[in-house]
Amino acid sequence: MKTLMNEPMISPEIAGEVSEKPLSTQWTSAELASLYDEHSHAIFYLSLRYLGDPQKAEDATHDVFLKAFRRLDQFRGEASIRTWLYRIAINHCQNLSQSWHNRNVRSNADDSVWENSVARTDSPLRVLETKELGQRIQKTLDAMSDEYRLLLLLVADEELSYEGIAAVVGQTADAVRGKLHRARKAFAARFEKTF
Amino acid sequence: MKQQAKFSQKQEHVVVQQSQQAVKEFANADELLRFDAANVVLPPEIAQRLQKSAVQSHPMEWRRWWQSLFGRG
Repeated sequence: MKTLMNEPMISPEIAGEVSEKPLSTQWTSAELASLYDEHSHAIFYLSLRYLGDPQKAEDATHDVFLKAFRRLDQFRGEASIRTWLYRIAINHCQNLSQSWHNRNVRSNADDSVWENSVARTDSPLRVLETKELGQRIQKTLDAMSDEYRLLLLLVADEELSYEGIAAVVGQTADAVRGKLHRARKAFAARFEKTF
Repeated sequence: MKQQAKFSQKQEHVVVQQSQQAVKEFANADELLRFDAANVVLPPEIAQRLQKSAVQSHPMEWRRWWQSLFGRG
């Protein structure tokens, strides 16, 4: 995984509209292509399951890479490029989802109820029809809190360690471990109810 | 003919039953989501839209990027 020098924390500007800045001049076109090739699927998957809408996920992935390509020169390399792209994507998706939810939905996600559920959360998750799996996963994630949903989507990326996830969300690895333990339980309990 | 139709109906029923009984197990949410991610296809339209979005303001640079990605102009 490639790391970059001069990486800043995400600024509100990054989360905003795509700017008209020129492309990074320090990166060759082949490097940009390889960057897109290597990370676009991960960014699309996160966007898809976070936003729950294929068209919105497509738009978000497009916007995230456009922003990234225009800001590559500014990174300090304290984390991997994957981590940095995830930060941009999360910011972007949170902004989109916040504005949409504010207009349309009042959230009632309360994971604590599910964390303490007596459901078979330590048993394997069983699936009969894999063709409906995506819908069930989406339904489960939609019902979870923003934080748990995000942590689960990040831990699904095999390239990210707990430390990597911690770097993305700006928490300690221990905090991430603890929250993920609760998030997995909440997910399993909710997933069982999606038949 | 009647018998044949009956036979194929019966066969179809068995196939459906078999597919419904094929239980897939995942140890935890991580494994389930990884399986899900592996089955999600990245739409090729995204790369095409990226190219279109910037080609007007930075034609040469983006054209090179496009060529690197798809090996064509």
